[in-house]
Amino acid sequence: MRKQLTKKILHQWDNTIPDGLEDRIKIRQSRRGFLKATSLLAASLLLPACDNVNNTSSTKTANSTLLTQAPWQTFTAVQNHLFPKDSESPGADDINATLYLKSVLEIPGIEDADKKFLRDGIGWINGIAIQMFNNSFHELDKNNKEAVLIRIASSSAGENWLSLLLLYIFEALLTDPVYGGNPDGIGWQWLEHKPGFPSPTKDKRYHLLR
Amino acid sequence: MKDFDVCIIGSGAGGGPVALTLAEAGYSVLVLEKGPWFTEKDFFKDELACCRRTVYTPQLKDEQHVLEEYNGQNDDGSYKWRAEASSDSGSDFWNGNCVGGSSNFMSGYFYRLKPKDFRLRSEFGEIKGANVVDWPIDYEAMEPYYTKAETVVGISGKIIPHPYQEPRSTADFPYPPTTEHPVSGLIDKACRELNMHPLPTPRAVLSRPKDDRRSCEYSGFCGSYGCSSGAKGSSRAALLNDAIKTGNCKIQPHAKVYRLSSDQTGRVSSADYYDKDGNTQSVRAKIFVVACQAIETSRLLLVSTGPKHPNGLANNSGQVGKNLLFSAGGSGTGEFTYKQFDTRLAEAMKQRGPFVNRGLQDWYFINDKEFGAPAKGGVIDFLFRHPNAISKANGEKWDDSGKLLWGKPLKDKLKTVFAETKYLRFEVFNDWLPTDDCFVSLDNSVKDKWGSPVAKIRLGYHDHDLKVGHYLAEKSEQVLKQMNASNIRSSVSGAPPPNLVAGGCRFGNDPATSVLNADCQAHDADNLYVTDGSFMPTGGSVPYTWTIYANAFRVADIIKKRL
Repeated sequence: MRKQLTKKILHQWDNTIPDGLEDRIKIRQSRRGFLKATSLLAASLLLPACDNVNNTSSTKTANSTLLTQAPWQTFTAVQNHLFPKDSESPGADDINATLYLKSVLEIPGIEDADKKFLRDGIGWINGIAIQMFNNSFHELDKNNKEAVLIRIASSSAGENWLSLLLLYIFEALLTDPVYGGNPDGIGWQWLEHKPGFPSPTKDKRYHLLR
Repeated sequence: MKDFDVCIIGSGAGGGPVALTLAEAGYSVLVLEKGPWFTEKDFFKDELACCRRTVYTPQLKDEQHVLEEYNGQNDDGSYKWRAEASSDSGSDFWNGNCVGGSSNFMSGYFYRLKPKDFRLRSEFGEIKGANVVDWPIDYEAMEPYYTKAETVVGISGKIIPHPYQEPRSTADFPYPPTTEHPVSGLIDKACRELNMHPLPTPRAVLSRPKDDRRSCEYSGFCGSYGCSSGAKGSSRAALLNDAIKTGNCKIQPHAKVYRLSSDQTGRVSSADYYDKDGNTQSVRAKIFVVACQAIETSRLLLVSTGPKHPNGLANNSGQVGKNLLFSAGGSGTGEFTYKQFDTRLAEAMKQRGPFVNRGLQDWYFINDKEFGAPAKGGVIDFLFRHPNAISKANGEKWDDSGKLLWGKPLKDKLKTVFAETKYLRFEVFNDWLPTDDCFVSLDNSVKDKWGSPVAKIRLGYHDHDLKVGHYLAEKSEQVLKQMNASNIRSSVSGAPPPNLVAGGCRFGNDPATSVLNADCQAHDADNLYVTDGSFMPTGGSVPYTWTIYANAFRVADIIKKRL
């Protein structure tokens, strides 16, 4: 098998290049300049305070309560808009997308800069929501949420942030349930995906192996 | 400081055969491996561990590369190169740093080279801008060791006569082919209608149990994954475990060799390494064997200066790191919807587990006036799209114009891609011509976590590689078309696949133009051998692993005679 060059720094360059589509590769390459764009975006906004993700008091709170607290209520609202539930398929809530993302941010595995980029985005999106509709993102109705996401996606940094959130939604949808997403294989069942075997055990999750 | 007969640096496909051969012969062998030691009990079908997190390779902030890519031309026509550290770009050039190396994670497409591959310069003449040379040995010298690898590593397959079949000393493979997917019959039919010769792809995957190793269990996730049954013929599962059983071989994981020290005579005196706790250790041996995979082998030699090696070990002719090879070519895809088949065939096509195992060698050598003069061609292999679900979904989040999708349009697309469509792919492998624009050197500023300069890799390629790649991709597309696939597309480029790498210490008879002699012994360091893919002056147009195994068995016999 020919291995493609993988991009491990996700906030910097999206890591998936669909095979055979060179025009998309060019699109990816144009995202290289996004770090500059990130700082421009941040400077153009009044950044509202963003709760620290590592706030230990919130990690002790019951999960249901936690999701109503900053920054998780914003992550939850964005994820449910990006990946809504319908009558035939699970949505972000059904696959534990927010709690999964929380675990990604808490355990070793991805670059610290990626984690910071994910957290910082909460400030940007709420900044834009307030600028456009004078309210935090999670308080907006469906149409206004859509308008904010379209605005966010028009900058390369914002698009990259949404793209990263989608990646971790896909992980929550399709990774082994041992990591907290995809409960009872709900994502696999919806997409008729046959997982391989043996499946990972709790004591052999990736961050415990090395 | 302990003494060993042989110290091997690197435990992958280049190290394993030497360790096994010499340990079985009763010599004391130490294998130093930079990474950890995983076993079958640590390997799961876990896409995060395999492919989305850093488990089997280093963190880029700790160990990385600097990649030099083509960046236009100067006014005088010379090329400009842009260097970027991989911790900045995110480009990951590591393959598998653990006991057994990247052979743990290969797909195990195993092909021999052919006799003409050993003498490309004589057969096809010079190509301007390429450093093509004949090998100092011929196919007959390698053949017994290809055969040995079939039995010892465990290669499954079936010989079907075809125009470019290489000579063999045995009639067929020791293991029958692995179970095949129903699509293989459809590929056969289409190829025959086109007067092509479809061939079963030999695999380093057991179709029957061998000693402690189980047969393949057909989970459908093979390439990129560590094997939990032991069926995959990794250096660890197939060779090192047996080497340890002799009682003469010790494997030392978490041992990062940072220097090979050499004495006033130019001989290597010790391998100096950092242990797991970061303390320096030294090991003495009669013979040192380097097999760190091509890029890191060149780097270790370049960094190991000594009284007789002021420019790096075995580098008195300035050849170390030069003529680095990847595999040229590319890949392509065609799509089938389950609806286009009758119910029975649709269900058959949905099967996961059995292998596609089909390839074409009809254009291993090209004799086509439309192409030009007779030329070296390559190999085509058919396979399904990789079953990794997260990366598949993630690849679908953009629409055709490159705009990010979400909501219902995204979910509809996922459902179509996962549940309604089967993707048959092909890969083209052709020679990556050696040139002055593809080599390894040491970077002046970027260092690894131990303070050693990292490898800088210039990634130039020859345009001829693309010409051959396009020719083969066009033939491959004909097969998909004949099968009534839709949305057929392919991509051939000079982008190097980091897992198919060789060269950098090529062997030859002239010390001025090569690093190693025909025995893969350094011209200017008597007790130093290199047994990974570094020795190859030209790469052939197949994945390298079988040739690396065979050559390492060959060199092991040479060392055994010497000891």
